[in-house]
Amino acid sequence: MLGFVIQRLLQAFVVMAAMSVIVFVGVYAIGNPVEIIIPPEATEEIRAEVIRKLGLDLPLWQQYFIFVTNLVQGDFGRSYIYNVPVLELIAGRLPATAELVLISIISATVLGVTLGVYAGYRPNSIISKAIMAISVLGFSVPSFWVGLILILTFAVNLGVLPAGGRGEVISFLGVEWSFLTIDGLSHILLPALNLAFFKLAMMIRLARAGTREIMLTDTIKFARAAGISEGRILRRHLMKLISVPIITVFGLELGSTLAFAVVTETIFSWPGIGKLIIDSITVLDRPVMVAYLILTALLFVLINLTVDLVFALIDPRIRAGAA
Amino acid sequence: MKVKTLIASMAVAIGVTLSTGVASAQTLTMGVRGGPESLDPHFSALGSHAEAAKHMYDTLVWSGDDLQIEAGLATSWKPLDDTTWEFKLREGVKFHDGSDFDAEDVKFSIERIPAVSGPTTTTIYVRRVAGVEIIDPYTIHIKTNGPAATLPYDFVRLFIVSADAAKDYSTPETAAEGFNGGPAAVGTGPYKLVSWEPKGDLVLERFDDYWRGKGPWEKVIRKEIPNDSSRLAALKAGQVDVINYVSSIDYLALQRDASVDAVVGDSVYIMNLQLDQRDDTPKVRAKDGSKLDKNPLQDPKVREAIDLAIDRETMVGIVLEGLGKPANQMMPPGFFGSSEKIPARVHDAAKAKALLAEAGYPDGFQIDLYCTSDRLPGDGAICQGLGQMFSQIGIKTNVNAVSKTVYFPAQSRLEYSVFMNGWGTLTGEASYTLGSLAHSKNPEVKMGAFNRVAYKNDKVDELMQKGAMTLDADKRRALYEEAMELTMADRVYIPVVQLQTVWAAKAGKLSFRPRFDEDTLAFFIKPKN
Repeated sequence: MLGFVIQRLLQAFVVMAAMSVIVFVGVYAIGNPVEIIIPPEATEEIRAEVIRKLGLDLPLWQQYFIFVTNLVQGDFGRSYIYNVPVLELIAGRLPATAELVLISIISATVLGVTLGVYAGYRPNSIISKAIMAISVLGFSVPSFWVGLILILTFAVNLGVLPAGGRGEVISFLGVEWSFLTIDGLSHILLPALNLAFFKLAMMIRLARAGTREIMLTDTIKFARAAGISEGRILRRHLMKLISVPIITVFGLELGSTLAFAVVTETIFSWPGIGKLIIDSITVLDRPVMVAYLILTALLFVLINLTVDLVFALIDPRIRAGAA
Repeated sequence: MKVKTLIASMAVAIGVTLSTGVASAQTLTMGVRGGPESLDPHFSALGSHAEAAKHMYDTLVWSGDDLQIEAGLATSWKPLDDTTWEFKLREGVKFHDGSDFDAEDVKFSIERIPAVSGPTTTTIYVRRVAGVEIIDPYTIHIKTNGPAATLPYDFVRLFIVSADAAKDYSTPETAAEGFNGGPAAVGTGPYKLVSWEPKGDLVLERFDDYWRGKGPWEKVIRKEIPNDSSRLAALKAGQVDVINYVSSIDYLALQRDASVDAVVGDSVYIMNLQLDQRDDTPKVRAKDGSKLDKNPLQDPKVREAIDLAIDRETMVGIVLEGLGKPANQMMPPGFFGSSEKIPARVHDAAKAKALLAEAGYPDGFQIDLYCTSDRLPGDGAICQGLGQMFSQIGIKTNVNAVSKTVYFPAQSRLEYSVFMNGWGTLTGEASYTLGSLAHSKNPEVKMGAFNRVAYKNDKVDELMQKGAMTLDADKRRALYEEAMELTMADRVYIPVVQLQTVWAAKAGKLSFRPRFDEDTLAFFIKPKN
């Protein structure tokens, strides 16, 4: 087990290193970040001065070498645009994204699995058909459109919810969270709904497919024959059996949403890290880009590792196989 | 009562209390497209940064609504000799912490800039300054490196910070913490800092001892909402009172909306088409794809044909939906150096075709036209319009509207032949524009830094260099006007349209005059009553 974990962490390092090289080369290929940031009044010598200050006149391999040297000392560098240490910048905006993503994914999963299991259990009822129809919408409609419609309906026309931004925050464990206030909740509702829509659809479909498949297996037949109540069958047997794909998808979605909830954050002006990365890419703020993508790679690997470990917990077959 | 219920009800009570918030009738909430990168005004030269800084700090020289300079923290200035300017400072000005403003603060601010300026460097504002001498608390002498005729214009973005408050926060490492954290963010501006989050809300409260008088708002909140639709939605939902940069499509809808007032102002930005003058130019070729013997753009007849092909009225009326004006030179009319002798541009497709035939291109040729798609309103659309207009006279045009992230580095690597971008003369005078674009690229005289078309007109160079040394304003204006006339006659830079900017506010609530530099300043926004 320990060997398994260590192996995964080593993989993480490899991915992170590859990521950093890709970003460096990519930014270099587009061009000099200075061109975008420098003001038009700048003379040649000022341009040269800025290039020198940022170290952009050195050859690429040397810039990378400096970056890695700093990195091992824990210094990710300072943002070109904000001149604030990158980690501070990212850490400052992480709670906002984290609370939005966690709220939306957890609620999407809980609601989606419930609805999906129902749809799979009673596939021919009208409610099930309605659920499936909604799930199709969740897939096919683009999230930025849904976001704008939500704002239009609830904020502009009905005026009951705010059109964007984050609400009042309360400090808890040294970090500021907004879901602990009513005002914060009213601000988080629409963006969470927007983000959750697609996940909801996926979870419904997964749960339904899993349920339909499992309900026809011998396990359930024998359980019924043994006189176990339907409710117990659903809770104890079905849930465990359909959980493997659901947890995999949960992990994948958690990672990708945490890293890339850009569209929703942009539409709702949510001050999270998704917006940070897209803004940094637009102005070629390389330190932020590199740090962010490296951390994202690490995040994905860690989430997948956790998912695999959870499998081992749930499914004795996997446990037996690993040992 | 059970503990759980008790905690739950307490949580609800706290939540309700906190969420009622402060709804002051005297609060102005602004939804802006971009905000400051830092609360250190010397960190960035970006327009959005300067706009935010103008709420908390003052500049030495003030740029008025039409970008002509007026007294700011300096009440008057005059050149004493070729390398010395004298500035008289305003008396009785207070900083937010109650201390007095004097020459020490100006000297400190100027000297601090090279150390703390970020990549969008603010050293451009003090590049001519060789030294600062304090004569008395309200008089300073600025020594320049060579005659600096336009020094006062450079100071329109020279923000003054408090020498006492910021003296420990003037290195690259300490500046961000000191200013963003608060202790150093002390200025003489109309509003004091309450709180700020990068890319979040900037919350300010009124500074009652401001030298221009008390501002109209007790509290000002600037919310950063970069997405155009979200910003407009916030206005319509009542979350903000005024927004800037309304897109032209939204503007059309707003004109029919009674709950919102739209305010249109001329922008300083003019879209200029630029034609490469190098012998070997990458993106021009014959219609069949083969290379041409020489660069057609070097022929003045071809350039005139291109100019005549542009139908500026249609561009404004159809492409920009009326939000623009035809431009005949690279600066708006009335600026220092704009010439009234330059005629309005004509559209004559037939003459254009004839000129092309005369120049030896009866069947025309092919070009790749490049521009930004996401920098200024309508940039991509104007490009497409140009593409169609050129095709009409026989120049097959492949339009490439690319992101500014790609455009500017590629343009600086001289990869383009025919390209268009917006240029705004933010100092209100010609040396800013002609000095950077029209003068040939010459690092020794510090001009031509943005001349990427290899344009060289010796007479223009001579006029610009002479202008930089001429301290007499009227003589200098005449030199610049002549330089503008010559540059426009050469048609290497062809101005297309002047843009207009749109603000929107809750109907009947506010009144303000739009500024050329598109700044939205809370102090000058008055409640309508």
